[in-house]
Amino acid sequence: MTDPSLVDAQEPLEGVIKDEVFRMYQEVADHPENEFHFFHGRAAAEMFGYDADWLARAPAGALASFAGVGNPHERSALQPGETVVDLGAGAGLDGIIASWQVGPTGRVIGIDLNPAMCLKAQAHAAETGSTVECHEGRMEEIPLPDETADVVLSNGVINLSFRKRRVIKEIFRVLKPGGRISITDIVSARQLSQSIVNDPKLWAS
Amino acid sequence: MFGLFDDAGFTRVRSTVVPGFRFKKESTRNAAEGYGVKAVLFTALKPA
Repeated sequence: MTDPSLVDAQEPLEGVIKDEVFRMYQEVADHPENEFHFFHGRAAAEMFGYDADWLARAPAGALASFAGVGNPHERSALQPGETVVDLGAGAGLDGIIASWQVGPTGRVIGIDLNPAMCLKAQAHAAETGSTVECHEGRMEEIPLPDETADVVLSNGVINLSFRKRRVIKEIFRVLKPGGRISITDIVSARQLSQSIVNDPKLWAS
Repeated sequence: MFGLFDDAGFTRVRSTVVPGFRFKKESTRNAAEGYGVKAVLFTALKPA
């Protein structure tokens, strides 16, 4: 359990990191031609084994701005008619792929800190004739009622939060009983040094 | 993070290392390797 006084002491840093996360992923979406600490775009999706057919069908903007760390679809086993929450929707690639799997009787709800990213995700989905609804919100306080989702997907997002325990409780809350998660994320075997924790650019990457 | 899923009430928590994950920038990659940073795919169920 995190010491509450420690969390309070980190609140200013948490705000700086939130701003850097916001800025960095906006840059990935607006300028995917730029270089980043991480692989992104088609190169990343191919590295993680995304189906070639998906990549062929995906809108160019959604694919170019993809910034995941793995392939959460590999074991999601999505079924037609299911409701999926994509936590950290970004430019929409994972939500769009999910929408193809759940079909017109299903529902995909993206959540993103950045309202501009939500608009991009929805526009990219519309390009493929599918629907992804997207809500601006924080993963520590998911703006959805209890027991909304059959499945929660996420790709490289939870590690960006200072309050991971809170995020995972929120994921549990929005899942229906019997619901499931398929989440790819970054973990560290050792505690990161304070210099890394204090560096918003490194934390955001 | 594995323990956080257990603590939240999830069951059948499974994790698999994502093969091939690495950072692009060499300095970040080297630092990440020093800390044992990996990408992991987590799956789990909320009890019915």
